[in-house]
Amino acid sequence: MDPTVPALTEFEGEIEKALGRLATKTPFCDVMVQQGTGSSVLIDSKATNIAAAPRMRGAAFRAWSGTHWVEASTSDLSSGGVGSTVELLERSLSRVTRPGTPPGTAATTRGERATKPSKPVSELGADAMIKIVKDARDWALAVPSVGEAQVRLSWADESRLYLNSAGARCLQTVSRVHYVLVPIAMENGRAEADYLIRGGEGGQELLAGLTEEHAVETARASKALLTAKTPPAGEMTVLLDPTVTGLFAHESFGHGTEADQFTRDRSYLKPILGSEVGPSSLTISDDGAFPGAWGSIFFDDEGHPGQKNKLVDAGRFTGALHDRETAAAFSTHPTGNSRRSDFLSRSFVRMTNTYVEPGPLSLDELVAEAKNGVLLEHGSSGIEDPLGGQMQLKVNQGHLIENGKVTDLVGSMALSGSVLRFLREIRGVGRTVGEFAIEPGYCGKGHSDYIPVGTGGVHLLSRAVVGQA
Amino acid sequence: MTPPSSNGPSLAARVAERLHVEPPWEVYAEEAVRYEVHLNGTSVELVRGPVAVQGIGLRVLRPHDGAVGAGFQASTDLSDAGLRAAASDAETIARHARFPAASVDLPSRPSATVPATEVLDRRLWDDPASTVDRYLEALRQSFHGRKGAAVSFGSVRTARVRTSLANSSGLDTGFDHTTVDLELAVKASGGPEGPAPGEYWVTDSLRRLETAGLDRSVEAWCRYAQDVRRAVAPPSGELPVVLPAGVLSGILPQVVGFRASGSARLRKLGLEAGSALAAPSVTISDDGAYPWSPGSGPVDAEGTPSRRTSLVERGTVRATLYDSLHAAAFGERSTGNAVRAGFGPRPWLKFTHNAGVGSTTLVVTPGDGGTDPELCEAAGDGVWVQQLGWANPDPISGTFGGEIRIGYRIRNGKLSEPVRGGIVGGLVVAPPKKPSLLANVAAVGSTSELSEVLASPALLVKPLTVAGTSR
Repeated sequence: MDPTVPALTEFEGEIEKALGRLATKTPFCDVMVQQGTGSSVLIDSKATNIAAAPRMRGAAFRAWSGTHWVEASTSDLSSGGVGSTVELLERSLSRVTRPGTPPGTAATTRGERATKPSKPVSELGADAMIKIVKDARDWALAVPSVGEAQVRLSWADESRLYLNSAGARCLQTVSRVHYVLVPIAMENGRAEADYLIRGGEGGQELLAGLTEEHAVETARASKALLTAKTPPAGEMTVLLDPTVTGLFAHESFGHGTEADQFTRDRSYLKPILGSEVGPSSLTISDDGAFPGAWGSIFFDDEGHPGQKNKLVDAGRFTGALHDRETAAAFSTHPTGNSRRSDFLSRSFVRMTNTYVEPGPLSLDELVAEAKNGVLLEHGSSGIEDPLGGQMQLKVNQGHLIENGKVTDLVGSMALSGSVLRFLREIRGVGRTVGEFAIEPGYCGKGHSDYIPVGTGGVHLLSRAVVGQA
Repeated sequence: MTPPSSNGPSLAARVAERLHVEPPWEVYAEEAVRYEVHLNGTSVELVRGPVAVQGIGLRVLRPHDGAVGAGFQASTDLSDAGLRAAASDAETIARHARFPAASVDLPSRPSATVPATEVLDRRLWDDPASTVDRYLEALRQSFHGRKGAAVSFGSVRTARVRTSLANSSGLDTGFDHTTVDLELAVKASGGPEGPAPGEYWVTDSLRRLETAGLDRSVEAWCRYAQDVRRAVAPPSGELPVVLPAGVLSGILPQVVGFRASGSARLRKLGLEAGSALAAPSVTISDDGAYPWSPGSGPVDAEGTPSRRTSLVERGTVRATLYDSLHAAAFGERSTGNAVRAGFGPRPWLKFTHNAGVGSTTLVVTPGDGGTDPELCEAAGDGVWVQQLGWANPDPISGTFGGEIRIGYRIRNGKLSEPVRGGIVGGLVVAPPKKPSLLANVAAVGSTSELSEVLASPALLVKPLTVAGTSR
């Protein structure tokens, strides 16, 4: 952490005192205190931009009113700031409190955990970070037709302290590192870009992939997109690469397993919990404890440890993700998935690192099995449809599959269709090629409350609607 | 809960007085108080408020080696020590950063030309809890008695924000504004066994919370949710497609807004003045003071008075948008297009972002295409897209494409059966003489609607690629 930033524990005394006062007015209350430090370097052929993470900290207090939760947050952690925030919360409690405790069991976890990289990126300093991104930019710009290249390298250390009136105390510091290279190829007024993106929890070891070989490869991929064919349109056999499979696991399937959607009767998956949804080679997991992964957390924002939860086990939909309230509604345990974007945002049931586990087939076997269709590559975004059960994913590029062979490059596409039908029609789950990777991303619940999440997987063969996007 | 105080000098001015940094510098300050209600069905699940945050973003501009280093740091620690730390960060960053301009002129005290801008809901400012309660009660009443459709969850998140700016050129200005983020999932179900439940997902960023017209909106939302249940896959092919403002707002600001900016020009991705970008029926401007838009304010994010800039006139590119920094790179003047956080989901939390350049509210001038039924008549045989899952706009390649969450087949010039699934997509902008959404506009509707940061009538695009499952 930046040595000029006070540790969260310096504010703990005042926070604890305020929580204790609040606890006399409610059966249960908790608080999440948060602050972060970090910096990023963004460079292209025209400018060098450096940004420091805001010197921002604050606390979100929550209390049970007897019928619902009430919350208040403040960015002023002085005793006056915290005191007046709790006072306002007490006033709203005095108006509505009725007897009764909140649903579910309060966490009583006590622990202190931190990502401890042996070589933190923060130790590099601005000049070294600038050199790393400049090198990557210059490698990319050396490829013909690549007229621009943007590279961003960032690190962030985030600390969260969770306290509740049941005695939980969880202090965690997570160090995240992220880089992205976007070479832009331009010809005759047309611009195309592929990307190289990596991120995880740790330190300088995470920068190992930002090599000349990878930068040039990405730049050449951008150039190739200038002459890519228009993608096919319509329903067809699709082979998802691991990045697209990861997006599918998160956006299309994972959001429907967030059990707050169950309690709202807003998940197409709720009625089929326990049913077979795909082949026995299909297993989908959410793992908040995946070592070094971008979306991992030591504790969630209700004081439960991050953990691995199998959502689909050998083709059967076996599990949902819970906070204390939804766990109580479904007579089960919290799964460590209650997460706040920050102290200004509410806690929801959220994913961590969501992925399809490796299956038995090689890529060659999957392509042969596909025979004709399209290979979808480099997933870039997606959106959920938790009630309707439709999927929508965007990929940066793809290749046609013709007569069991991978052939022409095609441009960006979107993928659509029914998730359950897609799962039923899975004809193959791939093996891991190289090291199993968790891709970094940000997830909104709806259109807000963004948090870091990871996605991953292997090749997946099924059928869906594809179109230019 | 009290709104930010309006007594005495602004927060930016007070911070500026305590700053000990060399000019040029700029302080952008915000005092925001949030009040939110989250629903499970129409019952209250969570009340959040006050969610209070105040902070500043400090920018210093330091010339070195023929360029300018822009150093920025944001802080919620407004103690002397906190400001010293922020200033130290900003200076350190400025030493390393480089932007291709010899010097930058920050705006000075605004003249009388600062436009009066409607961005503050007075009732919401004075009493957010009662205003939100009144809205929720009206919402419950609007759903009351409707068979087969109800709210499954939702949230109304409001903020009262006092924004102030001060800089070393003598600027000391600010304004009060309100923001509303509305999210409602309207679920249709019931009836005999058969179709699965349907949902229409309402998300909007607003400046005010109004109950007038809510009944009509709820009726439409319920109808869309019901129609999802009986929707069929759209056809495949190159078809006439009608895109209303609610769909275009996920496409045009992101692509045209970026391509029209000084940042895109600097990177040779900009729209070339004088080139043909769109059909002759298309005229687009940027309006920083458009009434009730989330992108509006009397001044931009650097304090330059907001204004209207014509970007595309009758299909031809006319102008580029600048903030102070990008204006300096080209020897131009700022067009009042400094923005913070772009189209981010937190219009009430901008002090954490440095100023950049972008569009404010894009305004597509209404045309002579007539009413929605007349646009359908002109389409003949095509698709009306009511809502896309997400349009996936890509400012660099200029593409977009998304799944149809709910739309309607147009047959014989009239709206027909609902469609869902499949993909509508293609290029938003393309090199001259190549097909694109804007080049293929065949008719521009006559009535404009504000959706997020776009004010536009519906556009008939002839054709666009639709990927469905049938013909």
